[in-house]
Amino acid sequence: MVFQFFWRRMALKQISSNKCFGGLQKVFEHDSVELKCKMKFAIYLPPKAETGKCPALYWLSGLTCTEQNFISKSGYHQAASEHGLVVIAPDTSPRGCNIKGEDETWDFGTGAGFYVDATEDPWKTNYRMYSYVTEELPQLINTNFPVDPQKMSIFGHSMGGHGALICALKNPGKYKSVSAFAPICNPVLCPWGKKAFSGYLGTDQSKWEAYDATHLVKACPGTQLDILIDQGKDDQFLSDGQLLPDNFIAACTEKKIPVVFRLQEGYDHSYYFIATFITNHIRHHAKYLNA
Amino acid sequence: MEGEAGEAPGLGRPAASKDFHFHHMDLYDSEDRLQIFPEEDTQMRREVVQAEMTNKSREPMKGKAQRDLEEEVDELVHLYGLEDDHELGDEFTDKSTPRIEVSEYPPYMMTGREPLREQRDWRLSGEAVKAEDLGFGAWGSAGQCQDLREAYRYTHGHASEEYECYVIPEEEDEEEAADVFCVTCKTPIRASEKVFDEHKEHEVTPLSKALESAKDEIHKNMHKLEKQIIEMENFASHLEEVFITVEENFGRQEKNFESHYNEILETLAQKYEEKIQALGEKKKEKLEALYGQLVSCGENLETCKELMETIEEMCHEEKVDFIKDAVAMADRLGKFLKTKTDVEISAQPEFEDQTLDFSEVEELMGSINTIPAPSAPVINPQAPNSATGSSVRVCWSLYSDDTVESYQLSYWPVQESSSGKDRAEFTMTVKETYCSVTNLVPNTQYEFLVTAQNRAGLSPASECAVYITAPCPPIMKSKEIRSCEEAALICWESGNLNPVDSYTVELTQAETPGASGVTESVVGIPTCECLVQLQPWQSYTIYVRALNVGGPSARSEAATVHTTGSYFRLNEHTCHPWLTVSEDGLTVVRSERKAPTREPLPSDTCFTRCVAVMGNLIPVRGRHYWEVEVDECLDYTVGVAFEDVPKQEDLGANRLSWCMRHTFASSRHKYEFLHNKTTPDIRITVSPRKIGILLDYENSKLSFFNVDISQHLYTFRCQLHQFVHPCFSLEKPGCLKIHNGISMPKRVTFY
Repeated sequence: MVFQFFWRRMALKQISSNKCFGGLQKVFEHDSVELKCKMKFAIYLPPKAETGKCPALYWLSGLTCTEQNFISKSGYHQAASEHGLVVIAPDTSPRGCNIKGEDETWDFGTGAGFYVDATEDPWKTNYRMYSYVTEELPQLINTNFPVDPQKMSIFGHSMGGHGALICALKNPGKYKSVSAFAPICNPVLCPWGKKAFSGYLGTDQSKWEAYDATHLVKACPGTQLDILIDQGKDDQFLSDGQLLPDNFIAACTEKKIPVVFRLQEGYDHSYYFIATFITNHIRHHAKYLNA
Repeated sequence: MEGEAGEAPGLGRPAASKDFHFHHMDLYDSEDRLQIFPEEDTQMRREVVQAEMTNKSREPMKGKAQRDLEEEVDELVHLYGLEDDHELGDEFTDKSTPRIEVSEYPPYMMTGREPLREQRDWRLSGEAVKAEDLGFGAWGSAGQCQDLREAYRYTHGHASEEYECYVIPEEEDEEEAADVFCVTCKTPIRASEKVFDEHKEHEVTPLSKALESAKDEIHKNMHKLEKQIIEMENFASHLEEVFITVEENFGRQEKNFESHYNEILETLAQKYEEKIQALGEKKKEKLEALYGQLVSCGENLETCKELMETIEEMCHEEKVDFIKDAVAMADRLGKFLKTKTDVEISAQPEFEDQTLDFSEVEELMGSINTIPAPSAPVINPQAPNSATGSSVRVCWSLYSDDTVESYQLSYWPVQESSSGKDRAEFTMTVKETYCSVTNLVPNTQYEFLVTAQNRAGLSPASECAVYITAPCPPIMKSKEIRSCEEAALICWESGNLNPVDSYTVELTQAETPGASGVTESVVGIPTCECLVQLQPWQSYTIYVRALNVGGPSARSEAATVHTTGSYFRLNEHTCHPWLTVSEDGLTVVRSERKAPTREPLPSDTCFTRCVAVMGNLIPVRGRHYWEVEVDECLDYTVGVAFEDVPKQEDLGANRLSWCMRHTFASSRHKYEFLHNKTTPDIRITVSPRKIGILLDYENSKLSFFNVDISQHLYTFRCQLHQFVHPCFSLEKPGCLKIHNGISMPKRVTFY
């Protein structure tokens, strides 16, 4: 008991706690086993969490983000409070691992974990974001917070959208639902993805496909997932060919995987766009998590 | 008054019940009686057996003791089967007794037999009383008894057979119960008996089956009797009414007689007084006259006597004196003789012929029977709810002094056009102060007037009173009935040519099968439709009645409403000519055949350019959900629109409609969510085969779903200032099938 208490104390360090829509927006820090560094994550506990276990909704942020961007910019709290969802937003990569070149560019290394388990040196020790978000973090959350381990969903933005899609597609049944804002749908074919995957996974492109949503769909035997994707029409990264949603949609159409893809007129890649449709997405998840 | 009131029911009831009896008996035709009788059979036969047992006890005990009991019973049964005359004689004949003894017995036999008969009859009437107590009707009357007796004789043969069957178990083996039913003997027997006894040849059924059929029979008859009881009760109440009327009429007549007799007696007394007085005066007058005459006659006599005496004295006088006196005397005598002696009787002794004038009395006497003609009756205004569709109950009253033999009720339908000249008038004669006039036209006004009549003649006619028959039942427009979870819109046609006052909707919740009564009524509905509030997820049976002053109509045909989800039908009035709506109003088909070249004329109600049709959604601001089954390759548009959406424009091409359109071209599905010609850019990877549509007035939303995978497709935010209707259009030949009246899937409720 003493050990466990000690462990828990050591494992979770509360950084901040703010009341928000009747619930609490907290930030914790812990020592990650997978990533071998201190990691912060944000967690919103809705009012309902005071009395019972709530479903858990994981948000994966995009390039350059920390746990702070989502919780301060997206304005998701009201919807999460109403639907009684615990929302967890982890950081986007290990930090302070002193790997050479980790802070050189904004689209690789720190803040650009790409939710893969790196296989290449020097990244493979720390850059295990896939295992972190699918295994370690959920276990930590399930142990320490009033969440229903059977009910979890995932969503994200841009690189996080890619993360959400691959996490859901690679783990059938683990997530009740998935949605994404302007996700990188086919990283294998886009400059960001190519850069990251070659860095983390090496030059063998066949290994990349295991982390490519479009390829995962093509290889998918079928899923019950109901995928919601919102995409700003004036998103510069869409026109730059970083996101490639059409490839993903085509694959899903072919494999009869249900997707509703909404091309939102006039919206860009920013959190303003996310804030506009975040309530839709939370409701989408609530439909499955609260069913 | 009190005595009379107390007496009335006392008198009324026996009279009524007497009639009741007789009437009842009349109602039983012979067939009925035969049907009724077998029910009584078992019980009665049991009685008969007892009676025979008593009878048997009279038999000499010694003989009985000597014989085998069973044999004796057989014997008895056998004998009973014989002719009536021999039957009892033989019964009393000991088997060992010589046959001759029989002839010695007859007198005894007869005396022995008579009580038995009586006993039987008594038992029969006892049975009858029992039957009556059980509500089987009256049996006690003489004719009925006769019938019973006949019936008894008819069953008598059976009874004797029964006797044997009945006695054996008692005396031989008491613990073994009867388990089968001998149909021939109509008695329960033991199955074992069947093998060796005389039941060998008989048809047998299981006892339970026999019991069952007997019960059925009894129930059938009980129903028949119940019906008769109701009839009888009606008849009895009618008799009571007649009774009261008769009593009243006779009471009036008595009073009338009494007053007339008093009048006559008074008149006679007056006449008597007058006559007596007149006679007395006459008598006095005559006697006085006679007395006067008598006195003057006496006086004359005195004078004559005096004259005689004087003359005689003179005769004795001297001649001179005589002469002197004679001269004077002669003068005096001459004077006296000159005065005429009145010997006529001044008053006639005989009674003058007095003619008694009885004309007045005669007139009075005559008027006892010639009652005055009654005055005009007062017709009552129509009592509310007293009419049916084909009849009215007209009531009136008379002045209490009048004696009325009958009334003449005249009536004719009120017609505005013709001024009563060529009107069809009907007249009927009734004894009561009311009349149910039948065979009338529904929802029609009739004028009634009534004239009273007795031997003296007709009264003046009453005022005219207008009565109205109840309306025809409304005609339920079941195709236009729509519902949602909280309400239903019931539509009907009046069914009457003339307007009615209002309508009543009656709701019965179908969840309670035992309760047949009306659970709820909505009254005073002026129009031919009504929005009724209901409980969700229930079934209701709904009827409509039309009402006027006369009363309510019969119920319309029933309509059934289920408050699960929203239910509507396609509105054929809005249907584009190229579309066909199915019988159930839930499928719309655009057929393959080449569409007519000529475009239909523009219209306000019917879609002319856009090949569309509207559904009739209930105007309730709540949530409505329905589903549309589509073909993946079909070009269709589904959504909602205001009723006044321009029918020449495509759905979604204006601000009055919100639609999801699917187009399938070059193996690509295109989904548009159109309102005012604009659509968001949405791509859907799995083509829905069933589209769920949720219309939410409260949150001003219209959502579309792929039902099979419960995928949310799109939600419109729309300001619905009026009610919208579902709309459907087919851009290519094909068909859309609507599913409604279904509960909303749970996941749908999140949008």
